[in-house]
Amino acid sequence: MTIDNSSVQVLGIDAGGTMTDTFFVRADGRFVVGKAQSNPGDESLAIYNSSVDALAHWGREVDEVYPELVTCVYSGTAMLNRVLMRKGLDVGLICNRGFEQVHSMGRALQSYLGYALEDRIHLNTHRYDEPLVPVSRTRGVTERTDVQGKVVIPLREAEVRSAVKELVDAGSKAIVICFLQSHKNGSSEQRARDIAKEELKKLGVDIPVFASVDYYPQRKESHRMNTTILEAYGAEPSRQTLKKVSDRFKKHGAKFDLRVMATHGGTISWKAKELARTIVSGPIGGVIGSRLLGEALGDENIACSDIGGTSFDVALITKGSFAIKSDPDMARLVLSLPLVAMDSVGAGAGSFVRLDPYSKSIKLGPDSAGYRVGTCWPESGLETVSVSDCHVVLGYLNPNNFLGGAIKLDVQRARDHIKAQIADPLGLSVEDAAAGVIELLDLTLSEYLRANISAKGYNPAEFTCFSYGGAGPVHTYGYTEGVGFKDVVVPAWAAGFSAFGCACADFEYRYDKSVDLGVAQLASDADKAAACRTLQDAWSELAGKVIEEFVINGFKAEDVMLIPGYKMQYMGQLNDLEIISPVPTAQSAADWDKIVEAFENTYGRVYASSARSPELGFSATGAIMRGTVATQKPVLPEDPDCGPTPPPEARIGTRPFYRHKKWVDAVIWKMEALKAGNHIVGPAIIESDATTFVVPDGFETTIDKHRLFHLKEVR
Amino acid sequence: MNMMTPNETGFADLLKNGQTLKQFRDGIIERTQKTGHYNGLEKLELRDADPIGYEKLFSKLRGGLVHARETAKKIAASPIVEQEGELCFTLYNAVGDCVLTSTGIIIHVGTMGAAIKYMIENNWEANPGINPGDMFTNNDCSIGNVHPCDIATIVPIFWEDRLIGWVGGVTHVIDTGAVTPGSMSTGQTQRFGDGYMITCRKTGVNDTPLRDWLHESQRSVRTPKYWILDEKTRIAGCHMIRELVEEVIRADGIEAYEKFAYEVIEEGRRGLQSRIKAMTLPGKYRKVSFVDVPYKHEDVQVSNAFAKLDSIMHSPCEMTIKGDGKWRLDFEGASRWGWHTFNAHQVAFTSGIWVMMCQTLVPTQRINDGAYFATEFRLPKGTWCNPDDRRTGHAYAWHFLVSGWAALWRGLSQAYFSRGYLEEVNAGNANTSNWLQGGGINQDGEIHAVNSFEASSCGTGACAVKDGLNHAAAIWNPEGDMGDIEIWEMAEPLLYMGRNVKANSGGYGKYRGGCGFETLRMVWNAQDWTMFFMGNGFMNSDWGLMGGYPSATGYRFEAHKTGLERRIANGESLPLGGDIDPSAPTYEHNIDATAQVKRDKQCMTTEDCYANHDLYLNYLRGGPGFGDPIDREPAAIEKDLNERFLLPEYAGKVYGAVFSQDAKGTYTVDAAKTRARRAEMRKERLARAVPVREWMKEERERILNKHASTAVQHMFATSFALSEKFTKQFKDFWNLPADWMVSEDELGVPSYGSKHRMDLSLMPDVTTVVQVEE
Repeated sequence: MTIDNSSVQVLGIDAGGTMTDTFFVRADGRFVVGKAQSNPGDESLAIYNSSVDALAHWGREVDEVYPELVTCVYSGTAMLNRVLMRKGLDVGLICNRGFEQVHSMGRALQSYLGYALEDRIHLNTHRYDEPLVPVSRTRGVTERTDVQGKVVIPLREAEVRSAVKELVDAGSKAIVICFLQSHKNGSSEQRARDIAKEELKKLGVDIPVFASVDYYPQRKESHRMNTTILEAYGAEPSRQTLKKVSDRFKKHGAKFDLRVMATHGGTISWKAKELARTIVSGPIGGVIGSRLLGEALGDENIACSDIGGTSFDVALITKGSFAIKSDPDMARLVLSLPLVAMDSVGAGAGSFVRLDPYSKSIKLGPDSAGYRVGTCWPESGLETVSVSDCHVVLGYLNPNNFLGGAIKLDVQRARDHIKAQIADPLGLSVEDAAAGVIELLDLTLSEYLRANISAKGYNPAEFTCFSYGGAGPVHTYGYTEGVGFKDVVVPAWAAGFSAFGCACADFEYRYDKSVDLGVAQLASDADKAAACRTLQDAWSELAGKVIEEFVINGFKAEDVMLIPGYKMQYMGQLNDLEIISPVPTAQSAADWDKIVEAFENTYGRVYASSARSPELGFSATGAIMRGTVATQKPVLPEDPDCGPTPPPEARIGTRPFYRHKKWVDAVIWKMEALKAGNHIVGPAIIESDATTFVVPDGFETTIDKHRLFHLKEVR
Repeated sequence: MNMMTPNETGFADLLKNGQTLKQFRDGIIERTQKTGHYNGLEKLELRDADPIGYEKLFSKLRGGLVHARETAKKIAASPIVEQEGELCFTLYNAVGDCVLTSTGIIIHVGTMGAAIKYMIENNWEANPGINPGDMFTNNDCSIGNVHPCDIATIVPIFWEDRLIGWVGGVTHVIDTGAVTPGSMSTGQTQRFGDGYMITCRKTGVNDTPLRDWLHESQRSVRTPKYWILDEKTRIAGCHMIRELVEEVIRADGIEAYEKFAYEVIEEGRRGLQSRIKAMTLPGKYRKVSFVDVPYKHEDVQVSNAFAKLDSIMHSPCEMTIKGDGKWRLDFEGASRWGWHTFNAHQVAFTSGIWVMMCQTLVPTQRINDGAYFATEFRLPKGTWCNPDDRRTGHAYAWHFLVSGWAALWRGLSQAYFSRGYLEEVNAGNANTSNWLQGGGINQDGEIHAVNSFEASSCGTGACAVKDGLNHAAAIWNPEGDMGDIEIWEMAEPLLYMGRNVKANSGGYGKYRGGCGFETLRMVWNAQDWTMFFMGNGFMNSDWGLMGGYPSATGYRFEAHKTGLERRIANGESLPLGGDIDPSAPTYEHNIDATAQVKRDKQCMTTEDCYANHDLYLNYLRGGPGFGDPIDREPAAIEKDLNERFLLPEYAGKVYGAVFSQDAKGTYTVDAAKTRARRAEMRKERLARAVPVREWMKEERERILNKHASTAVQHMFATSFALSEKFTKQFKDFWNLPADWMVSEDELGVPSYGSKHRMDLSLMPDVTTVVQVEE
C-alpha cells in the first residue's frame, strides 16, 4: 500500500475548559493546530470548529480529511467539570449497615485536598465539598467481611431488596454497591449486586448497578467507594457526550473508532466499561508525547516538565516507562484509579506576586492571573502583579504580539505596579525586582524538578528534560540552568503538546487487583511457588478483563500484547512500589526470586539501600495487567539539514532584554521560519503565535530535523 | 550516678573557633538578651544586601525539608507515621536553635533543639564525642520531649570538619515498652513505667546504627517491626537533609549559609511580632481551663496507693499583648504535676505551642525558633507544665496540653475578634480523644500494640462567621485524617461495626462546633487482648466563646459476653452503627440482656481484658460553639436535624426551634414559631437571672464553707501551695479572710509528693536547660 504523504492520519483533541485544541498530523509528519472556543453544551461542535480552523492552514475541508484519518484520540475536562459542578446522575448507594454516613463524612483530608502548603495548616480555611451521594439516598444492609476476606456477618438479603426499592423511590438513577473489604472477598457484594438487579427487574426499573468489586477491587474503601460512585455519577453522562462526538465524526465520513485518553496513560474506547478514569487526561498527554519523542531521540530517561498559568507539573519517564499512582486524588476526592504519577507545584507563569506583609518575603501564587495575564493588560481589571508582568517589563514577552497580537500589553502599567508593590518595599530597581521574581520562580521550579529526580533515586545527568506547555519555553533556560540535564528539548509545538501527546498514546487497557501475599525472606521453595500461583491466578483473571475490553472493539485475543506487573513492599509497610514483572508468567520459586529481586533493586534506588529491610519478608499487594494493541501514531517531521545559519527572513529584529543586572539587545526570530540545523546563540528570543522561546546570553540552541529545539548552556 | 573523670573533659574544637559549643551558645544567649534581637542581629545583613538570594536559600532548604519528609514517610509501616503523617524533620544551627522545619507536627520545632542543647550543656563533645556520621537518639521527657513515643534521631552536620548544624527527625512510634501497650498508655504513674527512655544516646557511627542499640531497642518495645522501620524512616530523612545542606553550601558558600542560619531566626522573631501586632488588640487576656483525672475508680489500676485519687488539672493563663507586638504567656496559678502520665515538660510548651499557633496566628512556612524568642513564657516551677521532680510520667502529656491550650486559643480568638478579624476566630478545640489503645496477641499471632489515630479528626471549634468542621482536625495536627477502615482493620484485630457522625457532640451556638464521630468495634480474631480508654469524661476541657456551648464531654461504652457470635449465626438483631442517643441507648437491645456493659463517664481506664465479640465504642469529641444558640439560623438547625447531627430534643431545648417531621422522617423548622419561642426563652432567661453581685455572695459562702468536691479543693490546694501570687489574687477576688486556706493534708486524699520533691537538676553532673521564666 502506498501512503500519500499529504494524507492526514492522526487527530489529537484537547477539549479544555476555555479552548478546544485539535492537532492534525500528516503522513509526512507535518502538523497543524486548530483552536476554537469550547462549547460545554455540545463538545462535538467545538471539535468540528477547531478542526475547520486547523485544516484551513492546509486549505483542506473537514469532509475530505475526516475519512482519511486512521486514528483519533480525545481528551477533555467534561467528566471533571461534571464532578466539580456536581452535575451528575442521582445515584443511590448501598453500603454496610452502620456505615451510611461514611461517604458523606468524607475523609478528613478531603477538607484540605488541593490546598497550598500554607492553607493546609491554616485550619479556618478548610472546608468539605458536598458529597456526590446524600445520606438520604444511602441505605445500609447487614453484612461484614473481615480483613482476611472471611465473612463475619453474612449478607441479610431481604435488606438488599428493601434498600433497592427505597432507593428507587428516592429517585435514584443508578445504584452503587460498596461493602467493606469486598476487594478481599467480593462474594457478599456480588450477591447484593445480583439481588439488586433481580429486584430492579421486578420493579420494572431499568437503571444500572455498579458493584465496586467489578470496577476497582482495591483496598481503601473511601477511594474505592468514591471511584465507583464517580463511575455511576459522571461516566454514563460523559459517555453520552462522547457518543455525540463520535456520531458527528461519523456524519462527516470518519471511519476510525474514537478513543479517549485515560488516567493510566493509555487510551480506551468510549465504549469501555470504566470511564471514570477519563476524569483527567490533558496533562497526561504531555507525558505520553514525551515518551514518543524520547523513543525517536533514543532517550529512555526523560523529565517531562509542563508549565502552565497556575502550576508546574513534573513527571518522570525512566527506562521508557512512567510511574503510576494507584490512589490519587482529583476534584478533592480520594480515588482508586491508576494515574500517571505527576507532581505539581502551585506556581506558574501567571502566578500572582506579593510581598508577605509580615516578613516582606516574596510570595508566588497560589492563585494566578489565569487568562487575564497580568496588570500589563489594562482590560484585565487586575491590580496585583503577576509573573507575566515581570516578563513583559524585562523584554521577555512581546507586548504587541501576545497570543499572536490578539491583545496588547501595557509595559508602563506593569512597571508602575511592580515598582509600588515589589521594588520599592524591597529597595530594588524595577528591573532587579522583576528579575528577582523570575529567578525565584525558576529556582523553585528547578529545585522541584531536581528533588523529584533525586527522590526517585536518579541523577539529572541521566535525563533529558522536555519542556512544554504554553509558557514553558519562556522559563526553560531558568529552571534547567545548572541542573545538569543530558539534554534540554523544546518542541516547536510546545503549546499544542498535550493534544499531540494524546494522539501518541497506545490503545491500552489496564486492570488492577489487590492481592495479599506475604512470603518470608528465607521461605521454602514450596511457599514461593504457592505465592507465584496466587499472583498468576490474579494475572489470568485480569488478562481476561483486558481482553474482553478489546473484544468489544473488534480485536481478537491474539492481537493483544499483555504486560503483567505487581506491587510489592516489605511485609508490614504501607507503601508499595509498582514493578513491571521480570517474568511473563509466575510459576516457580525461581520466578518468585526474580520478582523479589526486581523489587529490591527499585526500592534501594528510591529510598537508599540502607532502608532495605528484606529480613521483614516481602508482600505482594497488587496484581496489574496491561494490554495493548498496535495503533497508528503521529509521524515526526523529517526535515533536511539547512546548516547552522538561519535564513535572513527568520530574523525579525531586536528587543531590549534584561537579565543579570544589565540590558542587552536580544535578537528576535520567527520560529516558523527557522530551518533544521539552524543554530542560534543567545541573547535571542524565538517567537511564534502561541509560544515564546527565550535563549538568554550564556545559552545556545539548535533546531533538529524533527523541529525540536535543543537548549545548551555555553560554558 | 553520672561520674566522669576530669581528664575526659577534652576540648574538641568542633567549631574551629577556639570555643566549646557551650561557650558559643552562651555568647548567642547573651547577645540576644542584651539587644532583644536573636544573636544581637539588629540588622539582617544578608537579607538586606541580597533579598532575592536570601529567598532562594530559604526556598531551597525549606523545599528540601518538605521533600525529605514526603519521601522518607513511605518507608514506615506504622499507620501513625504513614497515614497520619506523625513525623517531622527540623534543621538546627550549631547551638540547636531551629532554622527551618518541615510540615508535619510542628511541635518539634524545639523539642530536638532541647536535646541538642542538653548535649551542649553537658559536654557531649568530650564524651561520647560528636563526629561526622554520628547519630544520637533521644526521647527523654525530662529534657524536652513531649512524650516518650516521640523518638528523635539527631545527626550533626559538618562542613570541612567543622560542626555547622544539626538535623533531627522524629516519629511517633506505636509502642514504647511502657507498663501497658500503646504509645500513650495510662497504667504507669511515673517515668519508670513510661517505657524505654533514651537520653541523647549515641546510637550510630559512620552513618550506621550500632548493633547493641538495634538489639536493645527492639526488644525493649512490643512492636519491633514498626520500631525499626520508623528508625529507618528517620535516618533516611536526616541523611537526605544533611546532603541537601551540603549541596546548598557547595552552591552558595559556607559564609552565606551560616549567615542565613542565624538571620532567619531573627527574621522569624520579627515575623511573629509583626503578625501579633497586625492581628490582635493589645491588652491582657485571661482565660482558664480544666480537665479531669479520675484515678480513684476501680477501672484505673495502678501500682501505687498514692496515685489513687480524683484530681483536676487547673490551667489559668494570662496572655499579655503589648503595643509593639511582643507578648507574654503566664501560667501562674497552674496546679501541681501528679502521679499520672499527663505532665508536660516546659519545652512541650515553648516548642509545642507552635503546632497550634501555626493553625491560626502564623500559618506560614517561616516558622522556627524565632517565634520562641518573640515570646516570653512564664511557667512556674512545680506546676504540671514545668515539674520539679524527676520521677514524673509524661506518656500522654497531651491530655493536659490540649486542655490548657484551649484557653489560649479562646484568648487569641478574643483578640482577633476585638481587632475585627472575625474569620480567624475559633472558639477553641476539641479534647482530642478518645484514645483507643491496647494490645496482646493479634490476628497474625504476634505480640502487638494498637493506638488508633482516629482522634486526629475531632470536630473543630466554631468560627465567628461559620460552623466548626465536623471530624476534621486536632489541635496537634490541622491536617487531620481518620484514615480508611480497611487500613485500621489491618493494624487492629477490631472489626468495625459502625462509623458515623456523633450527634450533639459539637458545642451549640449561633455557629456550632464541629461534630466528632464514633466507631463501634468488635474484638475479632485476637488471641489475648486488652484495651483501655483515655479522654475527658466528667469535665469539659473547652468552653465555647461568646455564649457558645462547650462540646459534649466523653463517656465510655464497652460490652462483654455479648452473645454476638450466636446472634450473628441466628440472624438476630445486631448493634450496628451509632450510639445515636446515649440517654436512650439501643446497643443494649441488640446484644444479650445478660451482657456485661460499662456505660458511664469514666473515660480514663487501664488495660482490661477483652474477648472476641466484645464491643468497644471509640467516640471522638466535637469542638466548642460560638455565640448564643438562639441566634442560630432556623435553616441551619433544620439541616443539622436532617443530617442527624443534632438530636431533636436539643433542637427545641437549646436552640428554641419549633419543628415537625413528615412521614419520610424529614424535619422542617418553622421559622415564625421559632422566632416566637425564642422571644419567650429570652423572657425565661431574664426571669431566672440574678445580679452577679448576688450570685457572687452565694458563691463566696460556699468557698468559705469549703463546699466543693474534694477534687476541686485538691486542685486549688496544689495551685495555692505553688503560688502566693495566685492565692492572693483568689482571696482578693472573693474577699476572703486572711486566714482562709485549703491545703492538701486536710482533704483526706493521698498527698504523696506534695512536700518532698527532687528535680533532675539536683542530680550530680547534670546541667538542665531552662528556657522559660520559672
